[in-house]
Amino acid sequence: MSDFDSELDATGLNCPLPILRAKKAIAAMDAGQTLRIIATDPGSVKDFEAFCKQTGNELLSSGEEEGKFTFMIKKAA
Amino acid sequence: MSKRLPGPERRESILKVAQGLFAEKGYHGVSIDEIAREVDVSPAILYRHFKSKQELYNAVLQAMSSKRESYVQMVINSGTSFEDVLTGMTQVYIKSIDENPDLLRTELQSLLEGSDATTDFFKHRWKSFSDYIEFSLNERLPYDMPNREITILSASLMFQGMLREALVQKYLQPLDRLEDVSLQELSHELVRLFLRAVGIEKSHLSRKAVISG
Repeated sequence: MSDFDSELDATGLNCPLPILRAKKAIAAMDAGQTLRIIATDPGSVKDFEAFCKQTGNELLSSGEEEGKFTFMIKKAA
Repeated sequence: MSKRLPGPERRESILKVAQGLFAEKGYHGVSIDEIAREVDVSPAILYRHFKSKQELYNAVLQAMSSKRESYVQMVINSGTSFEDVLTGMTQVYIKSIDENPDLLRTELQSLLEGSDATTDFFKHRWKSFSDYIEFSLNERLPYDMPNREITILSASLMFQGMLREALVQKYLQPLDRLEDVSLQELSHELVRLFLRAVGIEKSHLSRKAVISG
């Protein structure tokens, strides 16, 4: 079983596209569900931190491996 | 000679002065001596921080690039239609130039330089727009339309050219015909004309986009 409910592939996309797609994906989820995002834009690290801080959704984790950034976001209640 | 500053602060003050001078006169129009004079240090001290004029110029470009516009706030607060997002991005971009017209001057200067650093800088400045427009049109335009790729590329260039020219008129021309035009009015009108030109009807814009994932 996967440890997330939805996944968003934002590789190759630059701001604001990853944030925009995440906003749409989260809108379609239920509270408490998690979204995994994969991105390649280095600016997305700061962007998703700011996004979660301002929307109240929880940034569970944020990591980088071989130029790919992975974020886990839990939708706020 | 100005009072002694700690290294990082001195470096910052050199970058700030150099940014203004390069923006105003271009890379070839400024000498290290002139920058040193404006910072009020000796050229020797300046060379301690930057080995050459080229290195200083690249550092200026890098510093400006790193302060890229953040579209996060705009995405959170505005709608998600193509029109809403493009208008929001345009407003954020115009605001950044409004706050620091040196960005626009440096961008135009860098166009003619043609070095790797200036090419990167220019590309970086406009990448959000070119990516967003091209990606969105690619999703929306009918797959069987003739000259599809050229249409998408031309549309992207058209918008960037339109916005850049409006900014040049508003911020760099002494005769400011756009003086009384607000940032909001300007962005809305540019986006409205653009959408009409690429043939995207408003009804298509509000349609909920499919989330790919």
